[in-house]
Amino acid sequence: MEIRPELTLQEKLHILADAAKYDVACTSSGADRRGREGYLGNSVAAGICHSFAADGRCISLLKILLTNHCIYDCKYCLNRASNDTLRTAFTPREVCELTVEFYKRNYIEGLFLSSGVWKNPAYTMERICETLYLLRSEYRFNGYIHVKAIPGAPDELLAAAGYLADRMSVNLELPTGESLRKLAPNKTHKAILRPMRMVSDTIAEHRLAIGKSAQMERSGSTRRLGGGIFSEAGRQIEERAARSRPDDVGLLREGQTPARGVFSGESRPDDGFPRTGILKKTWTEGHESSDSARRGLRSQDGGRESFVLPAELRRRDLQRPFVPAGQSTQMIIGATPETDYHLLKTTQHLYQTYDLKRVFFSAYVPLNEDSALPALGTPPPLLREHRLYQADWLLRFYGFHADELLSEERPDFNELLDPKCDWALRHLELFPVEINTADYGMILRVPGIGPKSALRIIQSRRHGKLDFPHLKKMGVVLKRAHYFITCSGRMMYATPIEERYIARQLIGTNEKENWQIRHRNEGVFRQMSLFEDFQMNFYG
Amino acid sequence: MTVFTCEDTFEAMMTCVYDAWASRLGHDNLRLQLEPVWQQGLFCDYVHVDADFAKAAKVVRAIQRKISYEAYRQVFLATMSFEPDRLDAVYRFLVLGFASGRKLTQMLSRPEVVWIFELSRKANTEANYFREFTRFSQVGSVYVAHIEPKCNVTAISAAHFADRMPSEYWMLIDDNRRLAAVHPKNQAFYMTRLTQEELEQLRRTEEEEDLYTDLWREFFESIAIEARRNSQCQRSNMPIWYRKHATEFR
Ligand code: SF4
Repeated sequence: MEIRPELTLQEKLHILADAAKYDVACTSSGADRRGREGYLGNSVAAGICHSFAADGRCISLLKILLTNHCIYDCKYCLNRASNDTLRTAFTPREVCELTVEFYKRNYIEGLFLSSGVWKNPAYTMERICETLYLLRSEYRFNGYIHVKAIPGAPDELLAAAGYLADRMSVNLELPTGESLRKLAPNKTHKAILRPMRMVSDTIAEHRLAIGKSAQMERSGSTRRLGGGIFSEAGRQIEERAARSRPDDVGLLREGQTPARGVFSGESRPDDGFPRTGILKKTWTEGHESSDSARRGLRSQDGGRESFVLPAELRRRDLQRPFVPAGQSTQMIIGATPETDYHLLKTTQHLYQTYDLKRVFFSAYVPLNEDSALPALGTPPPLLREHRLYQADWLLRFYGFHADELLSEERPDFNELLDPKCDWALRHLELFPVEINTADYGMILRVPGIGPKSALRIIQSRRHGKLDFPHLKKMGVVLKRAHYFITCSGRMMYATPIEERYIARQLIGTNEKENWQIRHRNEGVFRQMSLFEDFQMNFYG
Repeated sequence: MTVFTCEDTFEAMMTCVYDAWASRLGHDNLRLQLEPVWQQGLFCDYVHVDADFAKAAKVVRAIQRKISYEAYRQVFLATMSFEPDRLDAVYRFLVLGFASGRKLTQMLSRPEVVWIFELSRKANTEANYFREFTRFSQVGSVYVAHIEPKCNVTAISAAHFADRMPSEYWMLIDDNRRLAAVHPKNQAFYMTRLTQEELEQLRRTEEEEDLYTDLWREFFESIAIEARRNSQCQRSNMPIWYRKHATEFR
C-alpha cells in the first residue's frame, strides 16, 4: 500500500482545478432565477463572467473535478488510468464550502462539477449527487450549477443531478465512432448519446408541463428570423414531446407516485439520427440498435424515455425545474482527422436533434505522449477553433445552415477570412443590400452587422432614413460592411462589387486578427473578434 | 439664457428637469447644468434647484407613462454616467420624448436619442463590469467590497447583490464618491455618504486575507492553460484599472 500524507485543501484544489481546465465550457448562462430570502444566490440569464485567467479565458464557475481517480484510459486525458499522477478527491463538504465561500466573495457564479470515473459510473454519479444535494439543501445554495453526466450511471442518479443542477453536459468528445474507439476505448457514442437523449426529452417534457414550448428559448434574432436551424428542428421537437403525456412527468408533488417507471436499462432511445449523407458515415457505428428494435420501442412507448423525480428530491423546498439552462456538449478538435464540414454538420445535428443550448469546441492541447496523437508541443489549433465558434454563431444567431458555409468540396474554413465574409464573397449577386428597405434576415447576413445592430436598423428606419453615420452609431462595423450595403442607393465609397477586389480588402482587415490568433501564445491576440463584429456576449 | 443647476443626485436632476420645464421660458432659452459650476457664462442667469421628491416622482411617472419604461431606464442610467453635460442631454431627450411618445428610443437617427443611448450604454456596461469584478472580503460577519467606478453605478450594482445575497450583511463602497450601499441581513439596502474617517477605517478591510483568498488565488493560477497563455487577451477583457480591487491580481 502506498502511504501518502493527507493533502491540504489547497493542494487538492491545485490538482483538481488543473485537471478540470480542459473542459472549455465555463458559462453561467441560460437560467434566470431571482434570489430568495434565506438562500444564497441567483442566476442571470446572460451569464456573468468574474475574471480572466492568464490564457484569456473567462472564469465564471468554480470548475473542478470531484476526483481525478479514473478507471478509463482516454488517450488524450491527463487523468487516464495509465498515467502515474497523484490522485485525490474532494469530500462533498469541501466542495460546498469552497463554492459558498467563493460565491459570497463574488469570485464565481457557481459550480461546474465534473469527475473522473471513480470505481464505476454509478459510484461516481452518486458522489456527485450527494455533493449537489448537500449544496442545495444544507448550504441553501441557489446559484448556478453545471454538472457532468457520467455515461453509464443509473437513470435515477442522472435524474437527481438534473433536478439539482441548472445545466448538464455529456461530452461527445469526438465526432466519429472511429476516432472515439481509437482515442477513448472505454467510451462509445451509444453510451454518450443515451443520457443526452434522455436529458433532452426530460427537459422538453418539463417545459411542456409548466406551460412552455418543448423547445428551449433561443435568442431574439433566431425568433425574428423565422428560418434557420432551430425553426426546422422546432417542429420535430414539439412533435416528439407531444407524443408523451406531459402530466406523467411534471414535477411530482409530495406523496404523488410517478405514473411511469424510470427508463429501463435495456431499451434504447430513438435518437432520430438521419442516416444519410455524411452523417451515415459518422454516427451509425455508435448506434447498433436495429431498426426493428427502434420501431418496437416507438410503438410501446411513443419512442420516449425520461427521468422522473427521485424520492429524496420530492421535498417541497427542493422542487426545481429539470436542467433549466439546458444541455451542452464538447468536441475535441485537432486530435483526429475530421474536417471542419464534418464538425459543423455534427454541431448542427446536435442542436437540431438534442435541442442543445451550446456545442463547445476544444482545441487539442497535447498532454500525453502517444503514437495515436499529435506530438507533445504541437500548438493547439486555435484559429480553427475560432472559425468553428464563428460558424457556430452563424448557425445559432444568423440563420445560416452548415451547408451554406462548407461542403464536401470545400470541407475546411478559409484561413484568411471569417466564415461570414467568406460566404458573402461567394454570393456577391445578393449584394449590395439597401439598408433602408432590406428585410431583417438579409441585413443580418451582411458582414459587420450583428443581431443587435440589425434590430436597431429595422426599428429606427421607420422613423427616418438611415445613413452611414447612423449605422456607425448603431454599432455596425463599417470597415467590413461598407462593401456590401447602400444607404438610399448610395455606397459609402465608390467600390466595385467585385470578388477579388473585396476579398483583398477584407483579407487585409482580417489579416491582423488571423495572425494574432495563430500567434496567440506569443501574447497578442485580442479575444474573439466576436465581441466586435458579432456584438454578442461570447459567454452566452 | 437661464441655467438651472442642481447637485449630482438622481432626485435633484429630476427635480431640475421639472422646474426647468415648468418655468415656461422656452426650451431654447434655458440650459441645465450640474453643480459645481466652474465657469459662469457672462450673460446667464443661474437658478439653483433643490431636490424635491414629489416633483422628481412626477417626472419619473411621466416618462414611464408618456414615453416608455425603456426611456426611463436609459434616462436613469444616463444620469449615472460621467459626461459633464448629462443633465442637459437628458432634458433634450425628454423634450423630444414628450413630443414623440413611445417610439422615442428607436429614433436613432436623432442626435438627442443617440446621445442618451450612448451614455446609458456606457453606464450599463460599467455596472455590468462591477457585477463581475467586485470582490468582497469577509470582516467578521460582514462582507465588504471597494470599487472605484467612473460612472456612479454603486446603487445599480447593489441592486444586483441584494438579489444575489439577500441574507448576508454586506457593504459596497465607492471609494471616490465616498458613497456606500449598506445591506443588512434580510432587508433592503440603503445608500449613505461616508465621512473621510469612516472611509479610512473601512479601507483597511480590503487587506483582510483568509483561507479563501489564498484558495481563490490557487484556483486562479491552476485554471489557466499554459499552452494557450495570452496576457494581451486577458488584458483587453479585464482592463488593468478594474483589477485594482480584484483579489486575484493583488
Ligand atoms: S473518462 Fe476519460 S476523459 Fe474522463 S477523466 Fe477518465 S480518462 Fe479522462
